[in-house]
Amino acid sequence: MKRVINGRFLLRELLYSKKQAAIYILCVSLSLVSLIAVNSFKRDIDRSISGDARALHGGDIILHSHYDLSQGLQRAVVGLTEGKKATAVRTRAFYSVARKSDESGSLLCNIKVVENGYPLYGRVDLASGREFSQVVGAGKIVVGQGVLDRLGIVVGDQLLIGKSLFEIADVILYESAKPVRFFNIGPPVLVSYKDLAGMDLVKQGSRVAYETLLKMADATTVDTVAARLRERGLVGQERVETFRDAGSGIKHFFDNLLFFLSLISVCTLLLAGIGIESSLSAILRLKEKNFAIIRSFGATGAYLLRHYLLFVLILSAVGTALGIAVGLLVKGYLSVLLSDFLPPDIVFRASAADLSEGVVVGLMVVLFFTFLPLWRINNIKPAVIFRSESSRAKKSFTYYLCIVLGFSGLCVLLIRYLGEVSTGFYFLGGILLLLLLVTLMTRLILYFLSKIKWRRPGARLAMRSLLRPGNVTQSIVVTLAIPLALLLIIYLVENNLRGTYIDSFPADAPTLFCLDIQKNQQEAFLGLVGGKVTLHPVIRARLISINGKVVNRGRELKKRRDNLAREFNLTYRDALLEDEILVAGKRLFRKDEKGEPIIQVSLLDTVAEMGDMKLGDILQFNIQGVEMEVEVTSIRSRTRSMLYPFFYFIFPEKYLREAPQTYFAALHVESEEIPFLENRIVQGFPNISTINIAETAKEMGRMMQKLSKIVNFFAAFSILAGGLIIVSSILATRFERIKEAVYYKILGADSRFVLHIFFLENLLLGLLSSVFAIVMAQAAAWSLCHFFLGISYAPGWGACLGLVGLTIIFVVILGLLGSIPIIRKKPAQFLRQLN
Amino acid sequence: METLLETRDLSKLYSIGERKIQVLQSVSLTVQEGEFVVISGSSGSGKTTLLSLLSGLDRPSSGRIILDGQDITDLTEDQLAPVRNQLTGFVFQAFHLIPSLNSLENIMFPAELQGDQKAKEKAEQLLERVGLSQRSNNFPEQLSGGEKQRVAICRALINEPKIIFADEPTGNLDSENSDGIIELLRGIHQAQNATIVMATHNKAIAENADRIFHLHDGRLSVER
Repeated sequence: MKRVINGRFLLRELLYSKKQAAIYILCVSLSLVSLIAVNSFKRDIDRSISGDARALHGGDIILHSHYDLSQGLQRAVVGLTEGKKATAVRTRAFYSVARKSDESGSLLCNIKVVENGYPLYGRVDLASGREFSQVVGAGKIVVGQGVLDRLGIVVGDQLLIGKSLFEIADVILYESAKPVRFFNIGPPVLVSYKDLAGMDLVKQGSRVAYETLLKMADATTVDTVAARLRERGLVGQERVETFRDAGSGIKHFFDNLLFFLSLISVCTLLLAGIGIESSLSAILRLKEKNFAIIRSFGATGAYLLRHYLLFVLILSAVGTALGIAVGLLVKGYLSVLLSDFLPPDIVFRASAADLSEGVVVGLMVVLFFTFLPLWRINNIKPAVIFRSESSRAKKSFTYYLCIVLGFSGLCVLLIRYLGEVSTGFYFLGGILLLLLLVTLMTRLILYFLSKIKWRRPGARLAMRSLLRPGNVTQSIVVTLAIPLALLLIIYLVENNLRGTYIDSFPADAPTLFCLDIQKNQQEAFLGLVGGKVTLHPVIRARLISINGKVVNRGRELKKRRDNLAREFNLTYRDALLEDEILVAGKRLFRKDEKGEPIIQVSLLDTVAEMGDMKLGDILQFNIQGVEMEVEVTSIRSRTRSMLYPFFYFIFPEKYLREAPQTYFAALHVESEEIPFLENRIVQGFPNISTINIAETAKEMGRMMQKLSKIVNFFAAFSILAGGLIIVSSILATRFERIKEAVYYKILGADSRFVLHIFFLENLLLGLLSSVFAIVMAQAAAWSLCHFFLGISYAPGWGACLGLVGLTIIFVVILGLLGSIPIIRKKPAQFLRQLN
Repeated sequence: METLLETRDLSKLYSIGERKIQVLQSVSLTVQEGEFVVISGSSGSGKTTLLSLLSGLDRPSSGRIILDGQDITDLTEDQLAPVRNQLTGFVFQAFHLIPSLNSLENIMFPAELQGDQKAKEKAEQLLERVGLSQRSNNFPEQLSGGEKQRVAICRALINEPKIIFADEPTGNLDSENSDGIIELLRGIHQAQNATIVMATHNKAIAENADRIFHLHDGRLSVER
């Protein structure tokens, strides 16, 4: 009986190709490492942060507003609690400055006032180990360690918040509703609801998050009760969510970060995929003659295909196992890199999902990227023995069907990982376009280089070497240029953000923001801070519709950037600020026939882009219960740093003058004077919140640095893929390289000359890759800064030059290390083998 | 004696870029069972091409090839596989052993393709017959040119083919090794009454042939 698989032959082939096989295995594992790491990390985060969604959101149903609940909703809640159908707890969260009892220090804190019974789900762990409900009460608060550290006080000391004096009863170790606090401007303080009025901080227009949390007696009624409450709530002002659909800032942060890391992982997967294809092609190209020999004594195409499919699957299994193992290790490192952002009780573990995911993705990636090289085996004819020509694969209907099915499968897989269909398509389309662009550019440059009449023999031979058959110059340039471009984009964007917000902090830029200044506090406040300070009126409102089309809240809230569903701060004034220019419309506002401004609004260009709004559009606002239709009569843009105050919507004074409003002031104070001024402001006006912008900008810079470190770490995997292809290419063309080196030596060249040729070849490779990377990165980074972030752009040529240098060093070292055994080959020994 | 191989108006045209090269023109020949036929001709005359067509390793541009009563001209690659495996054996000038397999495994391979349980036994016997028993575990790169060619001949013989094609089997060997290989092939021909079609430009080898054909500019003529 004929044997389907010749095990010995398979084993021999595996052992014989061990160097190339190692490259192939590394490419397979590389394609999986970052994807496994990111997805496994995502699962741990989901389990840890949003696994217990009730604890995270604090209730079964969450009623959220920036005002006291409307009467209808209040009555509905009372009905539920009185009928014993639900337990309710109210919370109020806002920022305010806490002061030491002797007024010698102050600190902006994240204050949360909670009713008895809080938290309905989850827990608040205190340093003393006592129950939260037994500690917090009238006059007694618990605080985050940051309050004690930064004010230099201890448990038992007293703290002034608003008009009340509190005793610090304990320290918060963990709060289920806030498992991580990296984005909070101030440390947390939990206060009893009984003290809310005494503090006298919540005034008209104050920025307060009002929440009412409900715990249902019957868990099955959550959705129906939520739906009923939603009907009672004020549209656009009150949000009724269940623990299942409520948004979470923390989850949103991780979703965004991990989404970005997923993009890089997918990019690495595709580049490593090119490595898989390239290294397998190299293995098979070296064996092409052997395949022809085997066919010459009677093996069928199917026989070869069967053995080499198994060959590929065995190597891929090793690569997948390695990829999963390294991926889990990288996940461990990722958790170290992100330690500042993670909840303390997060548990990292390898799950069955990690393994099965690795196997499925590995199999799909391998099948897709090995299809083309394996297909060629089927078409190798024995005549190849006699002619040094490569067989061309026959492209039948099945061939194209397999390509289409494979590509569709890969797209589905990648889009599943990115989690968003449209983004997935855009990203994949972008990557493919990029691949195509770099490939075309490489071809074009190589074509022109091949046409140049090189005078120096070294350069001429290096060019020939670069263009030799079997040299995967194109793949190397593509796989190096794309990750390098990615790294450079991240660097340039980070650098420009840093340049705009941190390093080149304008000399006159505001350093202290004061919020929630009441109408009757204007004069006294100006007297206290002195100098010429502009107070900007702030009126809170929601955008209801654009040209009669209601703003889709669900869709808007899912946006990764700013959205139109949130509450906006409107202002009124009749002139442009110093840093504003008109980009549409002849003047800020138009006058009617009586010379009076009609009801109209001026938009900032960023918000106009968000909603595709233009001149003449009719916007409908809900300004604290009053609906107002306005026409867009001008669009503004800004010319200075984002640190200066800005407003999306500006109205003529006449129409908002009487609306409930607070004031906002942006002050420029020397950084060493900020604490003293903050103290004076808070002593005089406890309800006014101050934000030290200079300090916040520095903190943002530190965070950006950490995040870019993580992103760079992941992008480095893609560069590794490029490095592997270089080694693979050298191994694939090893025989030709040795032959040439031997011939050069026979003709009188020394090792230095041969080394010089290989050096020039790798120099060209490095130069091409880095120059393409710079071109792509400059275009992408400029677009991101200009269109997305709206900041000025500095091209960072120094960094670009550095990139060129480092890439050349990397490629040349790798190329020369791979070529040393070739140079060492003795001519006589090689010629004897050749004969 | 029965006719084992017959060709009718065989032609082969190669395209190299824009250029067309006529390598063989209207070649017709017959080989009887048990014959030792030599195809001579200078380098580039088309000997290798003719052998690759006769053995079914390549396809003619026109003409027919009938091997053991079967027209193999239009057979697909997969239909040709059993012909190459069981009906013919091929000895190449450049040996073409599989580098990842040792001597014994190289010889066994064609027998293993048809599931022959005695492949190892047969391969060992053949190695012994050519005096290379001690070299059975050596890989091709560890063998000398003469040894490689003897292994290649054993590989061609393992499935006891009806016809053996040998393309310049001594072309890459020194005279001592060449003599040994010719002796071996002559012995096989005599002992097993094997049909051998050999391409060579070595006049001394041709001396031993039953018939000699001469190829010149792609045209075949009978020399003896």
